[in-house]
Amino acid sequence: MIPAAQTLAETTVGGRLWLYSNYHCNLVCTYCLTESGPKVARRELDPATMLDLAREAKGLGFTGVGVTGGEPFLVPEMPELLVELSRVLPVLVLTNGTLFHRALLERMLPLAHADVIVQVSLDRPEPEANDLMRGPENFRKVVEAVPQLRQRGIRVRIATTVEEQDADDLERLCALHRQLGVSDDDHVVRPIIKRGRAETGDMGVVARYLDLEPELTITADGAFWSPFAPTVRQGLLDTDLLLTRTVRPLQRPLDAMRVVAGARPQGADSTLNIR
Amino acid sequence: MAAPLAIGTPASPRLQPGAPRVRLIDPASAPLLARDLFASGDPGPIVASLAHVPELLGPTLPFLGAVLGPSWVSLRETEMVILRTSAVLGCRYCTEAHSVVALDSGLSLDEVRGLRGELPLADSFPDDAERALLAWCDAVAFGVDADIEQARRALVVDDARIVALTLLAATTVMLNRYATALALPTSPDVRERLVAAGL
Repeated sequence: MIPAAQTLAETTVGGRLWLYSNYHCNLVCTYCLTESGPKVARRELDPATMLDLAREAKGLGFTGVGVTGGEPFLVPEMPELLVELSRVLPVLVLTNGTLFHRALLERMLPLAHADVIVQVSLDRPEPEANDLMRGPENFRKVVEAVPQLRQRGIRVRIATTVEEQDADDLERLCALHRQLGVSDDDHVVRPIIKRGRAETGDMGVVARYLDLEPELTITADGAFWSPFAPTVRQGLLDTDLLLTRTVRPLQRPLDAMRVVAGARPQGADSTLNIR
Repeated sequence: MAAPLAIGTPASPRLQPGAPRVRLIDPASAPLLARDLFASGDPGPIVASLAHVPELLGPTLPFLGAVLGPSWVSLRETEMVILRTSAVLGCRYCTEAHSVVALDSGLSLDEVRGLRGELPLADSFPDDAERALLAWCDAVAFGVDADIEQARRALVVDDARIVALTLLAATTVMLNRYATALALPTSPDVRERLVAAGL
């Protein structure tokens, strides 16, 4: 094990480096942490920077890269970038699953042979309830996209974000994802976090930094404690979970994260299943 | 459809005349590396603004503490340099804050007024050595080379002291420009003290 990797392994810092490719989105979900939407300012990490960060991360002992936003597939180069990133580290990309039209699906084909998992959001088992949170036609587009991606050999996970757990709801949702070919192991359920638009709408659970797994997260605004951290509320970036504005060299925010992680009290691990 | 979201870069405050030109971080928004500084409440506008860039706090605050805080330069001299430099550079925030600190450090009201340019310096500071120190502050703050040369000749101190005093004045200049550029606000308790002192 290389010294840097050893150091990473000896701390509680998570092994996945998260990259916020962008903040803008084609949807305006009611609980969005980053107040993403079509009209927000374009705050992006450019693809070359993301690739460089992944290479740095590998050298520092990280074991994976997560790409999120905003909607990552609004970044024109995303499919090709994911392939490039996967040559450095395994990749998990989060998407709302609504942009996979024919041309994009064709460009996704190389991902079948790459170490890339596409995580698609699907919150409720019925269109009405789902689309109330995520926007018109969201349900239909997602249940069409998931089989299309899988047919092309791409591994798909489904992420469900819920205000409250309803056992019947969850059962119907699980039946749906199985029907779409997604196994239980590839289904993630997590609570709405009361930050960003969810906080404005008084939704979700309050999460302190102690509740959030430390996973270094890089955005155009700086480095943050977790992918749930670089939130925006009423147009202002939340700074409570900001680590550093400087993101390169990656060692710098990583050092800051270790300082903070090292100061966490014993037994401070999350109990909210926020991941 | 939701209303357009005016995020901008989240560093674009809605500026009001006379208001700080950056949002001052409040304790609830304190970044992880800055939490300790906010633990007792409002840490003041210099920290509350620097906290936007948490990695700057680590190196900057100890530096400021080492240069501006208690040292082998006497408290009286330190406050004379800081207040005089702030006054000649027209930094409202630093002049007001350090008028109070100077009074608390034992300078008289007339001396504070003299440093602020409200009384003739010669009246407030009859001692030649102290006036030479203040002339050095004026020269460091915005003198040309000839002024600095003249002020240096009048200041009879050793090299170590001139280095310490010059770094003190120069660091004050840096803070003066920082506080003026960002229009940092004077705290209400400082304003109260100034009013009570007739300043």
